[in-house]
Amino acid sequence: MTEGFLQEQRTLEGDLNSDTSHKSSVDFLMNWFRKRSIFVLAYGTGCGAIEMPPTFTSRYDAERLGIRGAATPRQADVIIVSGYCSYKTLRRIIRTYEQMSNPKYVLALGSCTVNGGMYWDSYNTIKKLEDYLPVDMYVNGCMPRPESILEGFIELQREIGEGKASSWQKYEENYDFYRKNQEAVLGKKVEPSYEADWYLYDGGL
Amino acid sequence: MFKKIKSHFATDDVEVKRQDLYKVGVRYDRLFELIHMLRDEYDYKILNAITCTDWIEEGHFALTYMLTTLDRKHTFMIQTMITREDAHAKTLSEEFKQAQIMERDLHEMYGIDFIGNENLKELSLENWVHTPPLRREFDTLEFVNNHLTFREGRDDNVDTKAESKRLRALKKAEKEAAKKAKEKAETKEIKDGE
Repeated sequence: MTEGFLQEQRTLEGDLNSDTSHKSSVDFLMNWFRKRSIFVLAYGTGCGAIEMPPTFTSRYDAERLGIRGAATPRQADVIIVSGYCSYKTLRRIIRTYEQMSNPKYVLALGSCTVNGGMYWDSYNTIKKLEDYLPVDMYVNGCMPRPESILEGFIELQREIGEGKASSWQKYEENYDFYRKNQEAVLGKKVEPSYEADWYLYDGGL
Repeated sequence: MFKKIKSHFATDDVEVKRQDLYKVGVRYDRLFELIHMLRDEYDYKILNAITCTDWIEEGHFALTYMLTTLDRKHTFMIQTMITREDAHAKTLSEEFKQAQIMERDLHEMYGIDFIGNENLKELSLENWVHTPPLRREFDTLEFVNNHLTFREGRDDNVDTKAESKRLRALKKAEKEAAKKAKEKAETKEIKDGE
């Protein structure tokens, strides 16, 4: 029980001494602010979404690490891809991700995002998330417990603090690569139709 | 009731599957007549499900309509065959509203065209251009291998079956060697004793 918490305690207390000699103090401060206020988009795919409520509520209380929920993509820093992505979900994830403002990070949970997991032979599920979106941190497990999710967040915070987490830049630089992969599975029209009354439009659902 | 169905619809395929579950096979052109009869005369007013079975060897789909009475005590399975090539059937959505979405699902997964259904847009497979995935000629594994990339395994990744076989053989050989050595030692002891 104490294992996860010891590491959290370490990050709460002792990471101000990390090596920042190669960076300006402004950079250091920016990164420090970023990592101490991570707003996570309230969005869940697959079965991993069920592990997020306990992570953010009183039992595991991610807010003491500066991690809390955000209502819309424009306000969020992190999107959690919490489990298998079917093609239909992937469209929505890509749109959501492109709506988020920089800097933005992707946290992928579960073995499904790593290599397909139990959906390895499914015709409708992607196998490697990093082909379609740049992933900052994978948390393995099927499903990862809230302790593991917190560990993943802490590791992500460490990378943000060191200025290493820069997947959004990678996405911009290699946009052609990602777009090619997205089109390979989703067809030429990657984005979902954008009608506000989508449940009424075109016969509904 | 069964007698009437048997004589009227010229079918012998009437079966009591369970105390509350009956099955009847009927020709496609008599299907709607039978459904209407069950609905109007015998109170089977709820359509539970429309399912499809792919009999690829015989070259037809088996559509099964599940009807339940209003007191929910009896269920009727009505099975009918439609040809697999250019599969189509008349829609049931005029009689039962819920048939609309069931038929939409079947259209997406099997490619059956329900004539008269107002909306057969796909539910979960957006812009799907390949074979409908629940048809049996659709090879899932082949599709995945052709369209998706897998993560490469680790360097120390081994075929577990072959590896366990190899380990078992090794263990066996070791055991036999130990046994032989023991026997040898014993015979030596006996010899020494003599």
